[in-house]
Amino acid sequence: MSIRKKLARWLLQHVLLGIGLVPLICAAENLRVLVVLSDNSAPYLTFSKTFSQNLPAAIQVTVLEQLPGSSPDVPQADLIVAVGMKASEFAAAKSVTPMLAAMIPRTGYEGLFDKQRRAKEISAIYLDQPWNRQLDFLRAALPEQRRIGLLYSPDMNIGIAGLQQKIADRGGVLIAQPVRSAGVLFPSLEDILANSDILLAIPDSRIYSSSNIRNILLTSYRRGVPLVGFSQAYVNAGALAAIFTTPEQLAEQTSATVISFAKLKQLPEPQYPAIFTIALNLQVARSLGIDLNSAEAIRKIMDKTTGEGR
Amino acid sequence: MRTVQRRLLIVTLTLGVSAPNVWATDYASEQGYIQEFPVVLSASRLSQPLSEAPNAMTVIDHKMIVASGFRTITDLFKLVPGMYVSYYKGHQAFVSYHGSTDQYARRMQVMIDGRSVYLPPVSMVDWADLPITVDDIERIEVIRGPAAASHGANSTQGVISIITRDAGGANGKSLSVTRGSKGVNDISARFGNSGETLDYRMTLAYSADNGYDDLATPPNNIPVTQFQATTLLNNGNDSNQARLLNYRADYHPNSADRFDVQFGFNHDVQGVGFNDKNPTPTNPRSTNGNTFHDLIANSGFLQLEWIHLLENTSELSLRYYHIRQDQHEAFPVYLRGVFFTNPVVQSVQTSRDEIEVQHTLSISASNRLVYGAAYRADRVSGQGNIPALSQAYSSSSNTNEYRMFAHDEWRITPRLLLNAGGMHERDRMGHQNLSPRIALNFHFTPLHTFRMGASVAYRTPALAEEKFPALMIGVLFVPSQTVTSPGLLPERLVSREIGYLGEFPDWATSLDVRLFSDQVSNGIFYDKTFTGVFVNKMSALYQGLEATLKHSFSEKSDLTVNFAHELANSNGPALVAAGQRALRSASPWTNDILSASTPRNSASLLYSQRLANDFSFSAAYYHQDAMQPFDRGPIDYQPIQRRMDVRVAKAFHEVGGVKGDVALVLQNLLNKGYTEYIANNVFNRRGYVTLSLNW
Repeated sequence: MSIRKKLARWLLQHVLLGIGLVPLICAAENLRVLVVLSDNSAPYLTFSKTFSQNLPAAIQVTVLEQLPGSSPDVPQADLIVAVGMKASEFAAAKSVTPMLAAMIPRTGYEGLFDKQRRAKEISAIYLDQPWNRQLDFLRAALPEQRRIGLLYSPDMNIGIAGLQQKIADRGGVLIAQPVRSAGVLFPSLEDILANSDILLAIPDSRIYSSSNIRNILLTSYRRGVPLVGFSQAYVNAGALAAIFTTPEQLAEQTSATVISFAKLKQLPEPQYPAIFTIALNLQVARSLGIDLNSAEAIRKIMDKTTGEGR
Repeated sequence: MRTVQRRLLIVTLTLGVSAPNVWATDYASEQGYIQEFPVVLSASRLSQPLSEAPNAMTVIDHKMIVASGFRTITDLFKLVPGMYVSYYKGHQAFVSYHGSTDQYARRMQVMIDGRSVYLPPVSMVDWADLPITVDDIERIEVIRGPAAASHGANSTQGVISIITRDAGGANGKSLSVTRGSKGVNDISARFGNSGETLDYRMTLAYSADNGYDDLATPPNNIPVTQFQATTLLNNGNDSNQARLLNYRADYHPNSADRFDVQFGFNHDVQGVGFNDKNPTPTNPRSTNGNTFHDLIANSGFLQLEWIHLLENTSELSLRYYHIRQDQHEAFPVYLRGVFFTNPVVQSVQTSRDEIEVQHTLSISASNRLVYGAAYRADRVSGQGNIPALSQAYSSSSNTNEYRMFAHDEWRITPRLLLNAGGMHERDRMGHQNLSPRIALNFHFTPLHTFRMGASVAYRTPALAEEKFPALMIGVLFVPSQTVTSPGLLPERLVSREIGYLGEFPDWATSLDVRLFSDQVSNGIFYDKTFTGVFVNKMSALYQGLEATLKHSFSEKSDLTVNFAHELANSNGPALVAAGQRALRSASPWTNDILSASTPRNSASLLYSQRLANDFSFSAAYYHQDAMQPFDRGPIDYQPIQRRMDVRVAKAFHEVGGVKGDVALVLQNLLNKGYTEYIANNVFNRRGYVTLSLNW
């Protein structure tokens, strides 16, 4: 928590100092921001709340908590902050206002917006962690576990070759297995667990669905292979660890970007999350006989390896 | 403006439609990152690592089970340091710790998924009549030492905890057929499915073998005169056929509740009896009250468990189970040379109901507590009729017991862990016992742990010890209706141990060593000076060292070595001097019956190797020093036992959706006169082939 807060503060200060506080407030006076949420469930509302709290009062924020119906009138704004894919699709289709898409994965952004960049100004703050960060995290948290198992749907372009190289650069081995049909999921899982030290979950909803997660976690636990996930929910369910960015953290980064937009009238390039959370399940670690460092220590090791020039 | 918007909308829609399939679209969504999951690995699912367990523990996992090649559950315990696994008949196995017992080993708790399966009237486990197969087992945890605080009554010398496969662990169907020498003939079919809220699996199996070879002459060059004089038991009739099924379902309608439903049934026919005492020309007036016949046993169980997740990962479980076993035998007898065809009929019905409630909670990040209570009701009724003597008898017994228990795991510092707990029970005879346990685990470094522990546990006398049958005929025990051993008290065991667990990742090795000292008092034995009386006069001290070494030569080859060195001494010689004939040692080397029946050194070794082209190979070696089985005569003296088993298997790739493997197991490859408990139980070399298909 404290580290997260510190980083958030650092980021805010960085942005604030970089562009200068006084002109910002002047510039911000005229800025109207429309926040469009994909729906009114907790993660989006949390985002919206934190986002508003982190903006100076001068920036005028309107929030659409639900996507309007058939022929909506989108309120006038200078910038739309679309939260989630649904909101981003909606905003992209309904308005030519510059748009910052937040809380969407990189593939989602690329798939939907690459062709529209000329039509209007558009950028994003991704939800997913860059591979380099994920792999640095694995190495820092589990230096002994070098064989990284990965299950994926074959038509999901995750760039196996590139990933293989990145893992090899860190002294590990990628054991990847495509899952071609639902029927072979569990045999494939058994195969991969027999040859891996870690099972790395990816957001492939066909494999890591809420109905499969139970058996994936139980089987991997029985085989003594820890699962590393990408949300707090994974860790709560029984994954050993996860690295992710919370809606609050994304909202902080988004508000900083909006403040910068208020000054520069220009959106930056799409960015990965600047801040992230490390969650660990110490009970699972203990039970599997894995000696985990604290989240702070893991973060320090990651900072160091990043500093080594990767 | 409108047109632009419409166009954009069309572009978006087109993109959405042209997306190849559902999951690719989902991948490009944030849903995977924000979806919630139920807690799967909850506190009760997480096992303590060996380095934090309060007792010495051996885990036999699925890989070891396969590599061992064994087709019976009991043989697996040969892979536990210090265990004595033997057979009275080909199908009547018994497992004991701290040396041999009589054939009704009854000083250990045996559980299957938390269900206690040692049953009255003898408080033994009828291993052949359990409604599970080796393939239904996910893992076995064997606690070496008393663990009443966490595993309940009768956890005196140790606890065998068998964990069967999860309902969700068997997707699809499989068929397995085994054929081999000695009549080995097993077939099993399995199917299962795991779904959104319901997982289930089912096994149907038939298992048969002919037991030991029928030896016409005694083994090991024993003179025939001695053979006859000591009535060496033969094994002309010890075949076994079991027909069984088991079912397990896991219903998890929401993230907070889980219902585990299990039931099983086994119809088992065992060949029993002996023909040594049948009248012969030289001994025409012989009596044989246990001629060759079948013992038919039907056993079944139903187990229901509700696990409810409370806030703060605290967990409440409520378990109920019912076990029932009906045994029946009918056989003609010879009385003083006269053959009575009108059969003696005996039957025994046993049932057990138990309900247990347990709460697991984390008091703080460093303190976890489990506490609960249980109530158990046992019913035994038996009937016998001996037409030749115009005698009929019957008895019934309803007893109940309850227990309360608590176990706390407190991480005092990251390096120091305290496990403390206890069980208070009121046993079926009304005795109130408190069984405490305390253990300190000190992580010298994360990879090196020292453990010190002490515990006390009690064994309530078996019904058959308290109410010994008036007549010993056939195989079944029909307990007496009245108490034959008044004032019999529970046996008491005080155990102390020091252990070390080390991990040496650079050498891919781990080592688990312990020194122990177990003091038995109020030890129960059969007082031959009276009929049907058991007394509490034995005291014994078991001390020794046990070690397990595991080493991986590569990712494809593993070695496990178990070793035990054990010394026992008791007040046996003094009791013999005071007239207790039952404790006379038959060993030529020592007059202490417990020292004689405890092998000084025993070891097992299991090596497995995965080879190219989907072949795999494993070999096991078992060693046991010479010993005198506890209640047998000198003819059954077991010299040094050495046995080697090998298994070779080949897996087949998927063809038309079917995968499979074929395995050959050869047991006692060296064929060096390996015997078990009875001199004539010569385990000659045998082999079998298993073909498994799954789809």
